[in-house]
Amino acid sequence: MKIVVCIKQVPATGADKRYTDDLRLDRNGVEAIINPLDEYAIEQALRLLDDGSVESVTYLSMGPEQAAEALRRALAMGGDEAVLITDPALAGADEWATARVLAAALDKLAPDVALMGMASDDARGSLVPGAVAAMRSLPLLSYGSELKVAGGEARARRLSATGFDWIAAPLPVVASVTDQVGEPRYASLKGIMAAKRKPLETWSLADLGLTADELSGAALTQVTDARAPEAKPPTERIENLPAAEAAVKIADWLAARKLI
Amino acid sequence: MSNDILFLAEFNGGAPARSAIELATGAAELAKQAGGSAVGLAYGRGAADGAASLGAHGATRVVVLGDDDRPAITYAAAAVAATREAGALALLAAATPNGRDLAAALVGSLHVPAFGPVRSARIADGVIETEQATLQGRVITTSRPAEGAPTPSIVLVLANTFTPSEGGQGSAGVTQAPAAEESAFGAATVAESHEADAKVVNLEEATVIVAGGRGVGGEDGFGPLRELADALGGAVGASRAAADAGWIPYQLQIGQTGKVVKPSLYIGAGISGAIQHRVGMQTAEHVIAINRDPDAPIGEFADLFVVGDLFQIIPALTDEIRRRKGS
Repeated sequence: MKIVVCIKQVPATGADKRYTDDLRLDRNGVEAIINPLDEYAIEQALRLLDDGSVESVTYLSMGPEQAAEALRRALAMGGDEAVLITDPALAGADEWATARVLAAALDKLAPDVALMGMASDDARGSLVPGAVAAMRSLPLLSYGSELKVAGGEARARRLSATGFDWIAAPLPVVASVTDQVGEPRYASLKGIMAAKRKPLETWSLADLGLTADELSGAALTQVTDARAPEAKPPTERIENLPAAEAAVKIADWLAARKLI
Repeated sequence: MSNDILFLAEFNGGAPARSAIELATGAAELAKQAGGSAVGLAYGRGAADGAASLGAHGATRVVVLGDDDRPAITYAAAAVAATREAGALALLAAATPNGRDLAAALVGSLHVPAFGPVRSARIADGVIETEQATLQGRVITTSRPAEGAPTPSIVLVLANTFTPSEGGQGSAGVTQAPAAEESAFGAATVAESHEADAKVVNLEEATVIVAGGRGVGGEDGFGPLRELADALGGAVGASRAAADAGWIPYQLQIGQTGKVVKPSLYIGAGISGAIQHRVGMQTAEHVIAINRDPDAPIGEFADLFVVGDLFQIIPALTDEIRRRKGS
């Protein structure tokens, strides 16, 4: 039983991010981290490894060569090996192209569970897990707050409108988990040392039987403008007032905007 | 290809979800700009009987994908077949877990452009043009399909982006989805279903939200927030800290990993305003923050920042609003 966790390297949350003149995210000089929501997928996979539900955990990432750092960091948390897909033709890949490449790599790795975070910090469509599942014709178990693997099936606990469900599907599956799986573990010093000796392979598009042509342009969408949000009026403040007086002022503010 | 605009219409327990009505309205607006029709793809229990009623909100035609309590993703094959047959310009999907799952299936199966979640959309030069807040709201980008990109463009739409049109009399023509290929993709089933202890509202449908965070201090601390929400005709929400602490169900969590809401009024009490919470509420039309800490980050993006003790200010505000409403 084998899990592959797909992770993405992203600019650090809160880092000073901007667009370049050609309207791409400028990653120069910005600290890169494992997408924080992917760490929950790593944690979920390692818990399944710890309790014996699965025998191995592999990490898979698509990105520039520096993304190997993210894979080493994941390996320091636990798990067995990692694969980086890097190719000049992938710069600017959109969600379809990303899903296509990951799907091809997952076909090759053939895990019982392909696991992802629920969203990435730097693009919030959350479409990659579902698109990968559709491309591979595998069941999708999305937005799980817990994942179980046993008896030839996977089960995900998922919030419903009024409570929660356990959604089940036969293996192999593609799954995504939320930040409710539990806090990701820290890498120990021992883990960091061990990670340096764990196998990390690099694959190109050719290794996946894909051509740059198939993915070329790599993007079906184009950004035509990037600008600062409309300037809002400065924040009004109510301070140092007794509650009753503050309440009257808030109510006046609401009434002036026809909110009451 | 037609100039039609498709939209996903989710039904729950016999009735259309609010997203179905909002998206019908939005699809009708875009279809008018494009010179086409708004066509719904309806799924979930109640879809067969309720499909025609979407005509009152602007839909010309509705294709029924299925009418059972199944995971939304199991309707994906039917959605793909119906979308292929419709040959539309764009498809609107709610930016909810179910909407995203189906949108992802369409993107993966049809190799089409994806946008979103968007805060507005329009037709320009015969293609869809969208606006979205990226980089945690610090940049607004405008996007459109690349030259020659296949259709339809899949557009994820935040709740309250389109204001439902009310009072319409129209009735949509209803057809059944074309036969779809069987695929393991839709093999998920609901193995167990559990109801929450307390009744939870759908936050995405609320036009007023009173949200509490760590500063609320506990389950009981939400009592005054609930009273204020009642006085304003709104709902109670929470930050991740409050949901993680078990003070409130996760269905009411607002933020990156919870609900993304767009109410006309958001009041945050005892919420510091971390970036992960901000991305869930930054599109609210009016934001009031109540916090004891005069330097709380939420003060930087609130329209009105009230520095003080929420346990004194909120009950006083509730009384004042009730007094003005004469109740």
